Amino acid sequence: MLLSEAEARALTQKVLGYVKADDATVSVGSENYSHLRFAANAFTTSGARENTTVGVTVWIDKKRGSSSTNEIDDDSLRAMVAQAQDLARISPVDREYMETLGPQVYNPVNGYAEATANISLHDRARAINDVIANCEKAGVIGAGFHQARGSASASATKNGNFAYERSSLVSLSTTARTPDGDSSGYFLRNHFDVAKLDVKRVSREAIRKALESRKPRTLEPGVYPAILEPQAVADLLGFFAFSFDARNADEGRSPFSLAGGKTKVGQQIFDERINIYSDPWNPELPGSQSAQSGIPAQRVQLVRNGVLKNLTYSRFWAKQKDKQPTPGPVNNIMESSMSPVSLEDMIRATDRGILLGRFWYIRGVDPRSALQTGLTRDGIWYVEKGKIQYPVKNFRFNQSLMQLLAPGNVDMIGVPERVGSAEGQGGSASLLPALKVKEFHFTSQSEAV
Amino acid sequence: MTTSRRDFIKTAGLAAGVVALPVALPSWISDVDAAESAVAAAVDKNALADIALSTARKLGVTYADIRINRYRTESISTREKQVLNVSRSQSFGFGVRVLFKGTWGFASSRDVTPEEVRRITRQAVEIARANSVYQRKRITMVPAPKVVASWKSGFEKDPFDVAIDDKIQFLLKLNERALKTSGVSFVNSSMGFVNEQKFYASTDGSRIDQYIIRANPNFNVTAVNRVNGDFQSRSSLGGPQGMGYEYMEKYPWLTEAERAGEEAVAKLKAKPIEPGKYDLVLHPSHLWLTIHESVGHPTELDRSLWWEADYAGTSFLTRDKIGKLQFASKMVNFIADRTQPGALATIGYDDEGVPGQRWHLVKDGLFVDWQTTRDLALMSPQKKSYGCLHADSWGSISFPRMPNVSLQPSAGNTSMDDLVAGVEKGILIYGDGSYSIDQQRYNFQFGGQTFWEIKNGKVGQMLRDVAYQSRTTDFWNSCDGLGGQASYEIGGSFNDGKGEPGQSNAVSHGCPVARFRQVNVLNTAAK
Repeated sequence: MLLSEAEARALTQKVLGYVKADDATVSVGSENYSHLRFAANAFTTSGARENTTVGVTVWIDKKRGSSSTNEIDDDSLRAMVAQAQDLARISPVDREYMETLGPQVYNPVNGYAEATANISLHDRARAINDVIANCEKAGVIGAGFHQARGSASASATKNGNFAYERSSLVSLSTTARTPDGDSSGYFLRNHFDVAKLDVKRVSREAIRKALESRKPRTLEPGVYPAILEPQAVADLLGFFAFSFDARNADEGRSPFSLAGGKTKVGQQIFDERINIYSDPWNPELPGSQSAQSGIPAQRVQLVRNGVLKNLTYSRFWAKQKDKQPTPGPVNNIMESSMSPVSLEDMIRATDRGILLGRFWYIRGVDPRSALQTGLTRDGIWYVEKGKIQYPVKNFRFNQSLMQLLAPGNVDMIGVPERVGSAEGQGGSASLLPALKVKEFHFTSQSEAV
Repeated sequence: MTTSRRDFIKTAGLAAGVVALPVALPSWISDVDAAESAVAAAVDKNALADIALSTARKLGVTYADIRINRYRTESISTREKQVLNVSRSQSFGFGVRVLFKGTWGFASSRDVTPEEVRRITRQAVEIARANSVYQRKRITMVPAPKVVASWKSGFEKDPFDVAIDDKIQFLLKLNERALKTSGVSFVNSSMGFVNEQKFYASTDGSRIDQYIIRANPNFNVTAVNRVNGDFQSRSSLGGPQGMGYEYMEKYPWLTEAERAGEEAVAKLKAKPIEPGKYDLVLHPSHLWLTIHESVGHPTELDRSLWWEADYAGTSFLTRDKIGKLQFASKMVNFIADRTQPGALATIGYDDEGVPGQRWHLVKDGLFVDWQTTRDLALMSPQKKSYGCLHADSWGSISFPRMPNVSLQPSAGNTSMDDLVAGVEKGILIYGDGSYSIDQQRYNFQFGGQTFWEIKNGKVGQMLRDVAYQSRTTDFWNSCDGLGGQASYEIGGSFNDGKGEPGQSNAVSHGCPVARFRQVNVLNTAAK
């Protein structure tokens, strides 16, 4: 059972009651989690977890210590507080200490569905059975992962703040492979409300991609125009809004840094149609009501019409730089300031290019330009004269994210969709559009399917 | 690399012997801080196991296990002259896994009481039962002998007994040494320790206690050129080890930090690499990661069976390639080993009661065997489990994870200098950097920490912006030189991710310095 607001309040107050330190913040999280995994057209593992974790950070003479536990009887909680205080006493002064917040007013978000948090085992088994049955019918081998989570989290400070919220998430990914291993398709979607997770679409798309990428041809690596489906954009940019850190930029170690200790704020860094922001109350992608350190979350505009509008300031860095701490980001939204273009229209408008649905194993290569390497996976096609011509073999890419979105490189921008990073297993989500870009750097061939 | 570092890595594993302890309540439990462990210590694990296993049996399972585990972590992080965080955490709970009509079910809870064990066991069976209605292929396990044992990993000094203040001072001193070089702008350093107190009981009759310690120190030094906006970093070459606090005391961290500072600054002025084909001489601090990705993962049997198809991927090693595929040149031998002293994946027993073992994956260059568990074993040629089942928490279902996989050194005393002497145009690489590999483990790309030009058999100037890209079997078949035992070192990953839901595994890879011919090298600096 998830902690109710009253239970969470009582628990945080109890812990604060044990604190003798000058300042403290207590956090509580409880979760109900369950999953069903399948592979080779059969169930593999399935399980559930119930947990409650309590953490405390204290400051004594501005010296800080933290401790956490999932043993929530009184003695264990007292021991946890005592341990944090012991750690604080022997630690050097926390030069970045900021007094914890007093009472705040939160504007609640709606990101919780009871039916998600307490998912029916039988409904899930039946739904995944249908996915496998669809795979069998199509003559493909299915593998996938269904997970559901309900969470309740609370935080309280010695200075009187208290915040409580619940959230939920359900996701389904499916990979379909032809039995000969010649082709593969993948699709992933998630939502906070299980009623809005389109299970049929996930299996249909995965199977379609597998069937339509049989007998892939070899295409020379190189620089190609490319259409990135929302999943591929999420794989590259799924956490992008969280990378606009002001301190890194000020310290000269970010793609948003300029020579001479300056930053790119105010510069046209991306295509003039691109907007990147965070909005806690987006109905499709509700974020948390709390941003850093419990500051009530607000809409935060990072990029407007391609111009870098804001970097994000921690409370400490804001004080150093005489700025306001940033009330976000709490989610990641990218959209066009012009009318969005459908994926079909993007294909129709392509003389020659690559259509791809997913990237894999993406790792940073050079932080100066946000250069990433990784591979395409589970369906990639050659497009010519407005039509998909044939599937092609996978590529490795080396692509700068700054170049990807740069003025002159973005051709078309699609409708934002709720989509999670595949490497993140759909455990979080963004609202991201398909992108058609003029240049994408495919650097070598990959035989992998 | 300095001789002192080499000597340390070479001998550290040998010093850390494995201690076998008698059955009954492990003596080390009493050494743990009493207040912190009160709840866990008060629990009668054997009695709870009896409840879980008898409840599961009554409900008709063919197999059940219960793991009652407590995890402690400690983490200290600093930057420059200040401490960023000091924290400790603990997590205690249990998980019950059942096999019912060939279908797995698992449930877990933090509330370690007899009533909850009964409820959670029923829930695990309920999950398996709900899914079994639609199960298409029944899961079958190979048997394992009953084991009653206790096991403790081979550390010398329990890091949880070392004063936090000593650790903080150590890191601040390290930062000071890194900042000594003019031009160094930032340094971050951290040390983390993990203690796992694991109890396992199963319907096979096994009862196993294990106590495991691992250490994960790290640092990163950055030099920024404010004039042109360039910046370069150099991370620590010493990685995580299956050792205690003795690792912090014996490894030459301070000299390495100073050297890292010098090298971060030097990287700003290093010569950009000209892309092309080069011979590579790869130091163990670098090569361990290439082994992990291109040898460790493709030899996981669950990948080959497409059980990981939806996430980590499958493997180019299909089952028909066993005993036939020349994976590497004949001098290359890879051994999987869960008994290797000082290594991260070393255990007494895995999470289904199978003892740690040592076996060849690649012998004389030939691909010969898989990593297996009890539910995969029947699909392997040997039909046996090598003890590769692991869960990263009491709340995670156990599944196949990688053992330590190591490249064996050559029989002679070939040194790095000997290997370099045989290269006309090449690059010497230290440290792990950017890494990426495809979902079947063919195509990979690796960076590093420092790169040195090799010209006519001699190491010359520093290079920058280097990454090499190759195909697994091409790369390993191009290996024509291996260092001897004196050059052997152990590297590793503290948090190797796999599975759905994603789980973390700590795993080591030992190797000597090695040479590879004509590998494709890129310049990673984007214009």
